[in-house]
Amino acid sequence: MPSNESRVESRKSRERTGSIDGIVADEVVAPEDPQAVAAVLADAAACGHAVAPVGGGTALGLGNPPERIDLILSTLNLGGIIDYEPSDLVLSIGAGARFGDVQAVLGEHGQRLPLDPPGGADATIGGLIATARWGPLRYSNGTLRDLLIGIAVAHPSGTVSHAGGMVVKNVTGYDMPRLYLGSLGTLGVVVSANFKVLPRPRAEATIVASFHGAEEAFSQGNRLRGGREPLAALEVALVDDRWLLAARIEGRERTVDDVAGRVAAFCGGDIVRQNGWSSAEWWAEYVSRQQPTAGDHSVIVRCGGRPKETAILAAGIVAAMDTIDVAVPSLAASPGLGTVVARLELGAVGSRERLAGVQDVLLGLADTATILAAPPSWKQGLDVWGRLPEGFDVMQSLRQQFDPARTVNPGRFAGFL
Amino acid sequence: MDTRVDRYSLVTSLENIVGKDAVFTRAADLLVYEYDGSVDGAVETAMPAAVALPTTAQQVADIVLLARRANLPVVARGAGTGLSGGAVPQQGGIIIGLTRMNRILEIDRDDRTALVEPGVINLELSEATIPHRFFFAPDPSSQKACTIGGNVAENSGGPHCLKYGVTSNHILGLEVVLPDGRIVWTGGRAAGISGYDLTGAMVGSEGMLGIVTKALVRLTPMPEATLVLLAPFADIDSASHATTRIISAGIVPAALEMMDNLTIQAVEPAYHAGYPMDAGAVLLIEIDGIADDVRGTGEEIATICAEAGATEVRSATSQAERDLLWKGRKMALGAMGRLAPNYYLHDTVVPRSKLPATLRRVDEISRDFDLPIANVFHAGDGNLHPLMLFDRRIAGSTERVLEASKEIITYCVEVGGALSGEHGIGTEKSGYMTMVYTADDLAAMAGLKNSFDPAGMFNPDKIFPKGYMCGEVRALRMQAMAQKLGIHAL
Repeated sequence: MPSNESRVESRKSRERTGSIDGIVADEVVAPEDPQAVAAVLADAAACGHAVAPVGGGTALGLGNPPERIDLILSTLNLGGIIDYEPSDLVLSIGAGARFGDVQAVLGEHGQRLPLDPPGGADATIGGLIATARWGPLRYSNGTLRDLLIGIAVAHPSGTVSHAGGMVVKNVTGYDMPRLYLGSLGTLGVVVSANFKVLPRPRAEATIVASFHGAEEAFSQGNRLRGGREPLAALEVALVDDRWLLAARIEGRERTVDDVAGRVAAFCGGDIVRQNGWSSAEWWAEYVSRQQPTAGDHSVIVRCGGRPKETAILAAGIVAAMDTIDVAVPSLAASPGLGTVVARLELGAVGSRERLAGVQDVLLGLADTATILAAPPSWKQGLDVWGRLPEGFDVMQSLRQQFDPARTVNPGRFAGFL
Repeated sequence: MDTRVDRYSLVTSLENIVGKDAVFTRAADLLVYEYDGSVDGAVETAMPAAVALPTTAQQVADIVLLARRANLPVVARGAGTGLSGGAVPQQGGIIIGLTRMNRILEIDRDDRTALVEPGVINLELSEATIPHRFFFAPDPSSQKACTIGGNVAENSGGPHCLKYGVTSNHILGLEVVLPDGRIVWTGGRAAGISGYDLTGAMVGSEGMLGIVTKALVRLTPMPEATLVLLAPFADIDSASHATTRIISAGIVPAALEMMDNLTIQAVEPAYHAGYPMDAGAVLLIEIDGIADDVRGTGEEIATICAEAGATEVRSATSQAERDLLWKGRKMALGAMGRLAPNYYLHDTVVPRSKLPATLRRVDEISRDFDLPIANVFHAGDGNLHPLMLFDRRIAGSTERVLEASKEIITYCVEVGGALSGEHGIGTEKSGYMTMVYTADDLAAMAGLKNSFDPAGMFNPDKIFPKGYMCGEVRALRMQAMAQKLGIHAL
């Protein structure tokens, strides 16, 4: 229930204004506890205001342009560690904690969340859950979906609900954490989350083989995937007109050394080997190419299809973009997953129509095509999430059940929910 | 809409949909469908009006539409091995038995997926994929009988879930019949499907949101090397300390199981797995991966076990040796019949560092209630299975078991645990839900239920406390509010 107290609380923490996709909010509030988040949402719902939750601000351009924003709700004051039991390998943390800070705390105990999403260290836990982005480590470690064991969510009804817990295996009621994951705040704002964490590998190395053509890189990549070498990540990428095959190896020191040696011998092409810290750095830079840089006009898209057809999808995207005069300066493919993330340059004549055309072409090539980033004016009226999913009316019901006034992020999620 | 379909026309309509040989309505035929694997007394039995065994998704959809017209609830059922009463039709209605939809439709080695019907038996899926050097990782103890559809409904686990995750981690997409009779796909082969994760919501929803008619599952490559260690300890306490030390050393074995002396007494004479009869407890630890790693990790675990007081550490590398060690574990439940005519087991989970204290508490409860309790469980996950041994023919014994259960559950929740790790809530534990969840928490779950099934037609009376979905919401909210305000009686 909206209380006067929470209004006062909100005003106290009011900051500068903010904007998403060029739409400016009048007010920014940064509540300091979960109940205050719920009160802000309930207040907004009662007044018919629209709220956009913001964490680290690393993925603000994701989604359709908001229909409107009256209030930006910063989660940055919800960042503390709630519970961390290194011997249990579980962590409960506030949604506003930065991913980099969380990893640092875990690192002190030789543990980590085995994730490498775009947005990196600056992204908040809440933002990572809301957007459900993933990085190349998905190859071996899955995503947040596989690590999230509990959650607390503030709802526009003014309540805070919890689900799951601090144990690694739990079927006590519906699997609500997975429902909220990737829902972009449209079912409520994540205020804290519990994770199963994993031991940090003792060593790592990366083998990068460089090829002239995509075909060679993919064929070696597929053979590696089909083999028995334990890889943490396996990517094929187009960078600076070269096709790279990159394999990340993690584990015990000797194993990493042996496997890296065998993978390097197997790959052929020009080989560069990175060890330890420089291997981690290499991947951080690799992933950062999937993030938009402020002020540029580049478009970033992600397409998904059958894993075994990743090479065909990547080649198809490059060829198809060429026919419509769109440049592909870089591309990252995950052969284990069937996804291709591409940076596109639509040139000086970029426009809404051009972007719509690109999306059409991509949807013709792939099962899924999401525009992860594009200039806001080009996104107008487009559903950047691509194809409407099956069961969309169930999703509409979910939105109606959890946020009937469409208070959080109206229009930004799939199907303009 | 005609809400009064008489019994005769119900049967005729069902027969028209699935054929005469796939409809059961006689009391004698229905008897078996009053039960599942749950314990009589913990779960009330209930008789369905009819059972239909469809062979296609369209037939499932047609039955659902018929049930809607007749205003009857629908309960989906696999092999009926569930332990929480999930498949027992509490309000009668139509049981849709999915055991005849048992085809493996496709195994794709390159995509590492299998497309299966819900009635496929868990172990048969792994047996079909092992020649391709893949397996289906979730391996519940009932895997010789339980179905993939049932695994999806309960989000089943098993020993190897420690490393590989539970069913939810292995389901990529589902074909589902919704309560309005439509057939839709959630998820799929491609990553990045837009909208909410309906697949994630479906898994573990105990048949209350939709009926699975196809599942696209992830296949896991067979490891290069596998090693099984058997470490006997003088008592449960040192075995559970060894467990927490292995986990906190940052080792993730493929499986880490514990059996106490009572379990060994039941198992060893029957299966001769080689467990020392005088051990207070044994740990069965499996490690897999590439050969070098397995060897190194095995040595580390052996050292930890020895330091924690293991009387010896035996290792098995050959398939035959490993199978023998596992046989005792997998047959443990069945072997309990040697000790007592009935058993009742729980499925609570505790934080792993709380294992030693929790097992001590279970032992106390065993003595307090004068009830033998055997422990055979997934120690690495903190997932307990205390097995209470009793004879239901003795008056009052079932009641005593249920009281002891409540003590165990209460303790586990107090130390930060969960009601169930892999068996589900069903009706068996629905009364305990308010122990872990507030009215607001349950209201969010009800929001999910209402989005799929506003009329409450699919598997009613499960998960939520009795009466919750029909009007006790307000009472619960009042209660929660009173608690918050510190008022004890309202």
